[in-house]
Amino acid sequence: MKGETMSRAARREARYGLLFVLPWIIGFLAFTALPMAATFVFTFLNISLAEQEPLMFVGLANYQRLFADQQAWASLWVTARFALLWLPLVIALPFLLAVAVNSKYVRGAGLLRVLLFMPYVVPFVASALIWQNMLVNDGWINTALRLLGVGGAPSWLSDPAWVLPGLVMIGLWGLGSGIIINLAGLRGIPTELYDAARLDGAGWWRQLWHVTIPMMSPVIFYTMILAVVEVMQYFLIPLVLFDGSGNPGGATRFFNLYLYQTFFTYQEMSYGSTLAWLLFVITLIVTLVLFRLSRRWVHYTSER
Amino acid sequence: MNRLWHALVAIALAMALAACGSSPPPGGDVAAVELRWYCCLGTGEQAEQVKAQQKVIERFHAAQRRIRVKLEIVTYDSARDTLATQIASGNGPDLAGPVGVGGAAAFHGQWLDLAPLIKSSGFDLSSYAKGSADLYRIGSVQEGIPFAIYPSTLYYKADMFEEAGLAEPPHKYGEKYTWPDGRQSEWNYDTLRELALRLTVDKNGKDATQAGFNPGEIVQYGFEPARDDLRYQGAAFAAGSLDAGDGKTVKIPDAWADSWRFFYDGMWKDRFIMTGPVFETEQFNGDGAAFFSGHVAMSVNFLWSTYGVAGAGDDWDLAAMPSHDGRTTSPTSADTFRILAGSKHPAEAFEFLTYLVGPASQELLSAYGAMPARTADQDAFFAKLAEQFTNKVDWQVAKDSVAFADNPHSESHTPKYNQTLTVLGTYRSRWMTEGGLDMDAQLKKMREEIQGVWNRS
Repeated sequence: MKGETMSRAARREARYGLLFVLPWIIGFLAFTALPMAATFVFTFLNISLAEQEPLMFVGLANYQRLFADQQAWASLWVTARFALLWLPLVIALPFLLAVAVNSKYVRGAGLLRVLLFMPYVVPFVASALIWQNMLVNDGWINTALRLLGVGGAPSWLSDPAWVLPGLVMIGLWGLGSGIIINLAGLRGIPTELYDAARLDGAGWWRQLWHVTIPMMSPVIFYTMILAVVEVMQYFLIPLVLFDGSGNPGGATRFFNLYLYQTFFTYQEMSYGSTLAWLLFVITLIVTLVLFRLSRRWVHYTSER
Repeated sequence: MNRLWHALVAIALAMALAACGSSPPPGGDVAAVELRWYCCLGTGEQAEQVKAQQKVIERFHAAQRRIRVKLEIVTYDSARDTLATQIASGNGPDLAGPVGVGGAAAFHGQWLDLAPLIKSSGFDLSSYAKGSADLYRIGSVQEGIPFAIYPSTLYYKADMFEEAGLAEPPHKYGEKYTWPDGRQSEWNYDTLRELALRLTVDKNGKDATQAGFNPGEIVQYGFEPARDDLRYQGAAFAAGSLDAGDGKTVKIPDAWADSWRFFYDGMWKDRFIMTGPVFETEQFNGDGAAFFSGHVAMSVNFLWSTYGVAGAGDDWDLAAMPSHDGRTTSPTSADTFRILAGSKHPAEAFEFLTYLVGPASQELLSAYGAMPARTADQDAFFAKLAEQFTNKVDWQVAKDSVAFADNPHSESHTPKYNQTLTVLGTYRSRWMTEGGLDMDAQLKKMREEIQGVWNRS
């Protein structure tokens, strides 16, 4: 194409195209790119609304503080521990449930699909508060456990050791969208592949391992990337359940919650921006690593 | 292409006209100043309170046309963060309140100094008890005008004392407690502990002093401290501050450390205070105040607890605060309205503020269940409060408690105020949920953590 000039019609088409995407470009610049750039600049300043100090360039002081900030690393560790519990479940469970719902041996698949998706449409705050009542010491979960003979049922919301599993349980409530995405992927796998596999003598397990999973790998990868980004930003449920206190004993002070507190409770805009950039860099690195690794296991049927 | 441009220009013009074409407010209030009244950094969010606040605004509007007031209700749980966000975005309200010492300290340096306005308007401060206005002077800044005070007292359930064959705690400060055998004890936290053990009862009717008492099946607890704020718990033992005095060094007052050990041991060793998981249960939570559940014999709390104390039954009463090391302290909350330093209409906001603490105060105080700071109004307040309850309550205890107010106030400003509260809150939560902790190590670690935060100032 080098050296070639666009025809008049092509130029006009390009102008139209640009015109139509202009609102998005303006929105992106005003509400994403510019604030991002601004927060990066903030990291080198001393903006704190709680303390009236003259605006100053502080160099890398905010980054130095970040490395010495035990709470920041403790919060990151809370997020990491939650991610270790949450990610395998949020990736595997929707896939397995979708496989189950998609199976010809399951009756009432339509109803099952609706039932599995229904919790997803319950308003977020309402479901968090319902779960709060279910998970307290005398809530339904522990009452059920006691009826089943489980002595010393865990304090899901007030024991630092049990609160993360409790939050995972609450999160499972919203797997509906993941199930629908996986179901759509499963429906898109050509049946000829299964026919061929069966002709070769493959059973259910071999079909799953050699046909379903490779063909579903782009969908699984997509849900994985979304889950990683979501888990790095996770904080709304603990914010609602514990009023952003990080209780019990700091066990729910997720990194994003600490970031939120730094911005809006402590009003330290510069340091908050530094935390935000750390989160961005970590998310970026994890995502890039996943993309790099995806070459080994994600199978694309179309040309790139 | 031209047609497309014409269409876009037409849409833009239509949008601009729509934006500019809103009609002026009815009633000819074009020149009226609009003030935003921000609630609820303290009390004020209950439906009846909101109604009373709206009524007060309507009366203010009826009396004049220059100032219009808009009430913004943000629930207490998120009020601080929301206000911080509003201020950060340059969209702060004109006036906030009622807000106590702690709520105001969270926004230290962001309140308007009222002293020049008080002077220029000739506002009369002589109707308040001497020194009242000083409660609202932070450093050299007069942040507020006295409005409401809430002394702390000991709430107790008389029927539980009777059932246990124990005399009720003393109502008068300085009086001793009399045991069934005639023995008299100083009314202090040691005596309270002894009483609380006897008033903590399990499912089989055994109290915490008896052999065979089952701490896993407690149905009645002996005592509930001010659970939601460690500073308040500390101040119930003695007034103090985490600030050693130089604004840089953290020092946990000895009495506060004593009170926190008392709290921790009460939960995990002596068992007369409910642990965090128990406090969460429907049976004992009492909508956030365990005493309201009716399953707690004694509780330290502010006078504002009258808003829900009916839940405890009709046999509760007030007693004097116990002493610690020979000193008696009644942590006292002092609420008022404050004007944001960033208000664009400080004069009008002050006019409205003087209306709130003046002509509108009786109605608001009644809605908030607050004791008037103006001494002449206090008897009427208690007479009205007494009408709300079928049981006879010794309100004189509350009046007497004012003399034991904590000074320095437990919620006073410290460096890195909000961060300090976070650390305190984390330890409070940990103590409520983890048994077997070494409290000396915990207190040392807490001090170091807070010091670390302050060092960043």
